[in-house]
Amino acid sequence: MAFVLHVPQAPEDQGSREPSPCEESEESELHFSFHQLIQEQSRGPGEDRLELPPRAPGPGAAGAAASHHQALQAPEPAAHSPATLRILASMPSRTIGRSRGAIISQFYNRTVRLRRRDSRPALRGLGRSARPSLRLYDLELDATALAEEEKRVLLVKELQGLPLAQRGHMLRGMPLSLAEKRCLREETRAPRRSRGRPGPLACCSRLRYACALALHDLGLALLAGLQALAPWHYALKRIGGQFGSSVLSYFLFLKTLLAFNVLLLLPLLAFLVGVQTAFPPAPRGPRPAFTGLELLTGGGCFTDTVMYYGHYSNGTLNQPCAGPPDGGQCAPEAASLPYNMPLAYLFTTGTAFFITCLTLVYSMSHSFGESYRVGSTLGAHAITVFCSWDHKVTQKWASRLQHDNIRTQLKELLAEWQLQGGRQSLCGRLRRAALLALVWLLCLGITLGCTVAVYTFSEHLIESPVRADREAALLALPLVVCLLNLGAPYLFRGLAALERHDSPVLEVYVAVCRNLILKMVTLGILCYHWLGRRVATLQGQCWEDFVGQELYRLTVLDFLFALLDTLCGELGWRLISERLGRGKPEFDIARNVLELIHGQTLAWLGVLFSPLLPAVQMVKLLLLFYVKKTSLLANCQAPRRPWLASHMSTVFISLLCFPSFLGAAIFLCYAVWQVKPSSLCGPFRGLDSMYEAGKVWVRRLERAGPRVSWLPWVHRYLVENTFPVYLLSALLLAIIYLNIQVVKGQREVISLLKEQISNEGEDKIFLINKLHSVCERKERSGAGRTQEVAVPPAGPADHREA
Amino acid sequence: MGQCLRYQMHWEDLEEYQALTFLTRNEILSIHDTFLKLCPPGKSYKEATLTTDQVSALPALRANPFRDRICRVFSHNNVFSFEDVLGMASVFSEQACPSLKIEYAFRIYDFNENGFIDEEDLQRIVLRLLNSDDVSEDLLTDLTTHVLNESDLDNDNMLSFSEFEHAMNKAPDFMNSFQIHFWGC
Repeated sequence: MAFVLHVPQAPEDQGSREPSPCEESEESELHFSFHQLIQEQSRGPGEDRLELPPRAPGPGAAGAAASHHQALQAPEPAAHSPATLRILASMPSRTIGRSRGAIISQFYNRTVRLRRRDSRPALRGLGRSARPSLRLYDLELDATALAEEEKRVLLVKELQGLPLAQRGHMLRGMPLSLAEKRCLREETRAPRRSRGRPGPLACCSRLRYACALALHDLGLALLAGLQALAPWHYALKRIGGQFGSSVLSYFLFLKTLLAFNVLLLLPLLAFLVGVQTAFPPAPRGPRPAFTGLELLTGGGCFTDTVMYYGHYSNGTLNQPCAGPPDGGQCAPEAASLPYNMPLAYLFTTGTAFFITCLTLVYSMSHSFGESYRVGSTLGAHAITVFCSWDHKVTQKWASRLQHDNIRTQLKELLAEWQLQGGRQSLCGRLRRAALLALVWLLCLGITLGCTVAVYTFSEHLIESPVRADREAALLALPLVVCLLNLGAPYLFRGLAALERHDSPVLEVYVAVCRNLILKMVTLGILCYHWLGRRVATLQGQCWEDFVGQELYRLTVLDFLFALLDTLCGELGWRLISERLGRGKPEFDIARNVLELIHGQTLAWLGVLFSPLLPAVQMVKLLLLFYVKKTSLLANCQAPRRPWLASHMSTVFISLLCFPSFLGAAIFLCYAVWQVKPSSLCGPFRGLDSMYEAGKVWVRRLERAGPRVSWLPWVHRYLVENTFPVYLLSALLLAIIYLNIQVVKGQREVISLLKEQISNEGEDKIFLINKLHSVCERKERSGAGRTQEVAVPPAGPADHREA
Repeated sequence: MGQCLRYQMHWEDLEEYQALTFLTRNEILSIHDTFLKLCPPGKSYKEATLTTDQVSALPALRANPFRDRICRVFSHNNVFSFEDVLGMASVFSEQACPSLKIEYAFRIYDFNENGFIDEEDLQRIVLRLLNSDDVSEDLLTDLTTHVLNESDLDNDNMLSFSEFEHAMNKAPDFMNSFQIHFWGC
């Protein structure tokens, strides 16, 4: 069916050029909808700033016909004339979010969909255009749709049906001005008169409404109060404003670690430290005097305190007294709850670890879900050009730095695309692969060397034990470990300068990987040294105390070396760089984050042997925050290599979960299940393993009676049996496989939909071209007709609305 | 600069602003303070207006290369009332929902206001991001071609709102970077 869209020549004396469709009778009904849409768009210039302003006098303003000619002369079909652009812009799918009427109708449809989840709305209240089949669509398909006012009434009605919190969220999320939102809110707040049943019922509902509002406001006030109390709120905003999101993610990670330590410390304080302090056991020996060295070595007068495992008693505290020793009366408070310390120790440590595990896995999956998208490639996205400007930055010099960063980033993007286009010779690829393998071998060699050094030094220490009065020599092993951890990353960085990676992000990830391998292997050797060798050599003494003290020493020295690193690495480097005329040093995010992860691993390793170690770690983190913040503001600048902040927090949490927490959990399980506790000290003396305490308790429960028989049954068949473990692993694998298949299916659906959209786009271009050609033919035939009619050349020309 | 009539904000107004925007109570009050300092004397804060120059000179927007577009999108008739400033702060706040941010980001990046982000808009965005006018043509055309190749789904050489929304949903950094803290300015 042939139809015409006639774009007439606007009269010359009018200011604005408004194309309007032709008035031919047989075609008028066909494109009446276009006419109405265009009229709607061009109505009321001062009424709504959201509507498209009339197209400013630009290249096509010389008249619709001239612009039309321009479109015809344009070689490619994609160069649309302004008239076409106007029509395209007023197409239903484009007007979403552009005009107030469209916004209101879009939100009306959204609220309908929201309410439909709870209950089907009554049909009699809805207008005729909101037919059930159309409710799913966001498009204004019916051209003779309701006027804006009616839609608004419908929206108000729908909003009244939503629960309070959802209504508030819906109102906040509308892209309208505050005055309009206030009107909507006023209207939705007006009590419904349609269901008017005066009397106690109305009072009840009003009371309930008032209560709900009051609770909601109270909740808001509490939230506001909590936010104000949040530590370092202003400091973090200042750092984000000066250095951007990537440096901010380091400090946010520090805050997260602090939260994890609080979570770990609270059960320990409540169930172990508090109780043991209330019922102190008999001291094991004379308490030595306090010298300053205890703060470093953790020994001396700290030994027989709640800080270490050895202090905790192995019996039941607060037992009901079986006859007072001096013949007097039992105090009535003594007949309260007995507290089995070994059991409490085991369960509290286990539960604290379990809670930490759950929180870690949850935050990791949450972070992963926010930063990963199905279908997004690992390579650089050009669309990051929209996200690369960090609007938080407020300082002029920081924004200048951002401009430079973006320039570098864009140049690297271009280089990467060119590289992907070009092909490399086989020789070049082989050479790069060989270089890569060499550098990796060297790095692994350095790691091996460090490991061997630590191992031989620890064996040497075992051979020549430290005398009791030379406690400072105990610091030797932690010192060696910290020195190696400080020096090896610089070697790695030097070696990495040899290889050349395509993408800078890969470089950083490779550096992080290498440093992480070094740190984890070193810690593994130390764990073997403690559990494998020290236990054997310290048979007559309290080896758990020793291990706890070693971990304390490592934590403290780690902190001191971090301070040293900050002082020399950042302050010293800045002084040198300024002398040489180069800029301030960069804040090395990767190295700092790995230091944090290393410190947290130490805290997790030591929790079993030193319940107060998380408190030490918390103090360390607090001090580190202020030190790093001061150093950052004084000495450093933001890194030149732009990191994707969202990916970074995911990577940090994943690194915290997988090598770090998993290793600590394995260490803990091995210590609880396999190692014989010392017979002199601690809550598990005399048992074969720490886990025995639990087994003893279960056996006691079995003998207690049939009422609690399910617990021993659970213990025997689900915990000690290996079959449930296999079942759980199989279930987990099945879930993972199903998720992978779902993601694959989603990818296929996405590619099909993309194809469909591009087909629709081609259809649209085809239709527009067809319209143009038909218009042109009409013009030519119209021009021909005017030439025939205008016979007398001197006579007045007929101004026909052609 | 003189100061407005020092009317304390009524409790009901504060409640209302909290319910209608994503800002917290402290943020609203600090924006109120800043507004009072800047507005002309003799008017209450509800009637006073600020010019776009004054808003562009705020510390939060001073260094932003898109500040003229931001002012244009959020102002009415080129002036800012107090509620306009609140609306702007709400869209840029941390708690704002993604759909609202994407909506306004599209309007800000649409330089020629024709309802699409076309090649001309993209080139202007890149020039603003690099803050210089002497950028090679190759870089500009390459970049715009790549952006359109990745995000233009119906091949009309322009990004419509839906395509922009789809692309921003794929870029998880968008929420992080499209934030401005107007408090304490």
